[in-house]
Amino acid sequence: MKKRGKGIGATFYGTGYGNGFPDVSKAVVEIDKDGKVSIYSCATEVGQGAKTIMMQIAGEVLGLGVNDINFISEDTSLTQDSGTAAASRQTYNTGNAIKLAAESMKNKLLNLAKDYLKLNATLGLEMEDHKIYLKMEPEKCVYFNQLVEKENIKVSESFTAQSTQMDEETGQGSPYWPYTFNCYGVEVEVDTETGIVEVIKGVCAQDVGRAINPELVEGQIDGGFAMGLGYAIMEDLNCVNGKIHNNKFSKYLIPTALDMIDLQKIIVEDPESTAPFGAKGIGEPVMTAVTPAILNAVYDAIGVRFYEIPITPDKVLKAINDSLREGE
Amino acid sequence: MFRINFTINNKGYTVDVDEALRLVDLLRDKFQLTGTKEGCAEGECGACTVIMDGRTVQSCLVMAFQADGSNITTIEGLEREDGLHPIQRAFLDAGAVQCGFCTPGMVLSSKALLDKNSNPSREEIREGLSGNLCRCTGYNKIVDAVALASKYLKEEESDGASENSRK
Repeated sequence: MKKRGKGIGATFYGTGYGNGFPDVSKAVVEIDKDGKVSIYSCATEVGQGAKTIMMQIAGEVLGLGVNDINFISEDTSLTQDSGTAAASRQTYNTGNAIKLAAESMKNKLLNLAKDYLKLNATLGLEMEDHKIYLKMEPEKCVYFNQLVEKENIKVSESFTAQSTQMDEETGQGSPYWPYTFNCYGVEVEVDTETGIVEVIKGVCAQDVGRAINPELVEGQIDGGFAMGLGYAIMEDLNCVNGKIHNNKFSKYLIPTALDMIDLQKIIVEDPESTAPFGAKGIGEPVMTAVTPAILNAVYDAIGVRFYEIPITPDKVLKAINDSLREGE
Repeated sequence: MFRINFTINNKGYTVDVDEALRLVDLLRDKFQLTGTKEGCAEGECGACTVIMDGRTVQSCLVMAFQADGSNITTIEGLEREDGLHPIQRAFLDAGAVQCGFCTPGMVLSSKALLDKNSNPSREEIREGLSGNLCRCTGYNKIVDAVALASKYLKEEESDGASENSRK
């Protein structure tokens, strides 16, 4: 018999290394004699879209498009340390460092433009498309390259996140800042004869602070959901005495395109005041709510609580049989 | 050693291969066609997918000598003189690429599917991609990409048809 059930999972998750650990990102913005803007920062791109959004953040500050920025990363001979692409921290930490560096560059350029155009103040100066102009008198304008004299203009900024070590006795402290929140709902179908759990519907409400790039956020939610789904019902390392027995894909099963479902994604924007344009980390948060939602839905379907994952068909079948026996 | 004749990306070759050599090694090491990725080396992940005589095969499970007389398409064979293949364009436009390691195999599985079924349903697309594992994307944007590629290919066909009728 196939039984259906619904469940939700709601979680919050901290961005960054946390617990008082130094969490530092650095960024350099440079403008050369041709007026070309380069950013040096070691935000590692692993497919999550770090490069894209770092360029978007700098572009937003400097009035440039993503294609106008030369982004140099993942080269330790050229860039300063920006920490790992881990702990859902690159958007928040390195994003902040890049925003600070871009703002510092903007400030520098506006002051140079003020002198170049013989103005009283930087007030009313706008920046767009490699050009700085006075809003009330647009003919008073200067291009970036006209402001670069002998040497390239270079600014460097650093961002350090705030967190304090948690008191192990009382559990009090601020081990993370900021937190990302979510609530995912799923519907499952449990085959009581085979023990196979199928996820048939998913709705993901994900707080992101601000979606700098909604398409990339969606891609992260899809990916996180698939990982959470595998975590809940498929992926079993079968670790015995420290040895991983399921050490290949023929034994360690991960979701295929057929196991995944189309998701309804709800991006919740509640800008975080300390974040670059309000954007918080979502790399890990997109996964955390999936497994509890699935386990709750399975409980709703068959009335059995599981305290260990993954709930592979053999475990589901055994649990169903055990509960039937208890009932007798 | 075996002497084999085969076609890769519409070019004919004659090469001598060791009997223990796999097709993936021949493609990557001898022909430097490194777009074909080796993932699990046991036929589970699909990263090494190439198209052999119209069918997708996992080049880690095919011996090089088995390619004798065959016609092989690798990811490098898709790009056209005027730019990317519509399927490649669709993958970019749909945001279907994250780390990119599965992408060449995904694109070739999509091509093999669309060559046989130009208008697949989402379920048929999922089935067509089910031999290729992806850890990043959760597949959904890849499914979107294949649906978009189907649209691009149809547009291209109708554009070609109207151009021909004008001639």
